[in-house]
Amino acid sequence: MAHIVIDENRCKSCYLCIAACPKGLIKKSAHVNKLGEYAVEFCDPKKECIGCAMCATRCPDLAITEVHK
Amino acid sequence: MLVFETPKAFKKDFKYSFCKGCDHGVAIRLIAELIDELGLKEKTILTTSIGCSVTMYDFLDLDCIEAPHGRAMAVATGVKRARPDKFVFTYQGDGDFASIGLAESLHASLRGESLSAVCINNTTYGMTGGQLGPTTLMGQVTTTSPKGRNREYYGYPIRIAEQVALCDGTAFSARVALDTIPNIRKAKAAIKKAFEVQLKGLGVGFVEILSTCPTNWNMSPEKAHERVRNEMMKVFPLGVYKDITEE
Ligand SMILES: Cc1ncc(C[n+]2csc(CCOP(=O)(O)OP(=O)(O)O)c2C)c(N)n1
Ligand code: SF4
Ligand SMILES: [Mg+2]
Repeated sequence: MAHIVIDENRCKSCYLCIAACPKGLIKKSAHVNKLGEYAVEFCDPKKECIGCAMCATRCPDLAITEVHK
Repeated sequence: MLVFETPKAFKKDFKYSFCKGCDHGVAIRLIAELIDELGLKEKTILTTSIGCSVTMYDFLDLDCIEAPHGRAMAVATGVKRARPDKFVFTYQGDGDFASIGLAESLHASLRGESLSAVCINNTTYGMTGGQLGPTTLMGQVTTTSPKGRNREYYGYPIRIAEQVALCDGTAFSARVALDTIPNIRKAKAAIKKAFEVQLKGLGVGFVEILSTCPTNWNMSPEKAHERVRNEMMKVFPLGVYKDITEE
């Protein structure tokens, strides 16, 4: 099943992935990570992810460590 | 099916020291992906430069040599001539490649060394706090051009990919950007070409990457990509300026 894996402690909260995801499945988290940033989280209750890897292609910090299709 | 994972060329638990949203991170990831895909990890000697690019050897699990500011193409020349069996590439900023290092960069290209070079054009000296560099746009305000770049005092910016393409020893020269997903994919294809011409012994393979410096531009990462599109691409058009494999 298509999904992504996020290492939230790599996220510097640039939020470029939020705009990159064509399905709008990435959201700001409500808690801070080890860098003191409001990292992003993957939120896909309806299983809409298509595994396009646009988020991982966009992320400048390799915070998205895996994409499965 | 796994369609993306952190490239193996990265060290375990590496930590990028770049600012939030900086395109240096994407550029280095593309290089790491290509080192994996072309099976170059054990064969590579990376030559790093001075600037925010310098930190690259902290992240990649490669043999590296650090060049003084601007001298990466000269150091890489020595490395490659001593070890022609190795894959040797440089990773340099615009200030490093085209200001203090312009002579080294162009003469290596004129000599047609078997080298690849990636240059990050962010229109400023990022690491030292956003001074005017060789690629700073006309009118651009920097810490050393507080009223903006003008012709009378500072002269004009340099178009690096075009200059490298003019050198007879250059096999491939292109300018790419990282502002959109399609452009990121095209950037990777261009870097691949710049790597392949070295592997075929055809001469210098060069890629200039239009990149963001959100910190010194004082912009959000998204706005910085808009500046790349709306301002930088007008002066620095994307494209392949030389490709002897196509001629
Ligand atoms: C010989 C020498 N002169 C000056 C410096 C100071 N210095 C360090 S980085 C840098 C500018 C780097 O700018 P650029 O190559 O564009 O890289 P960026 O940080 O923008 O990626 C300068 C002038 C130095 N380290 N060595
Ligand atoms: S100073 Fe600019 S080029 Fe350097 S890491 Fe920060 S954003 Fe990137
Ligand atoms: Mg620079």
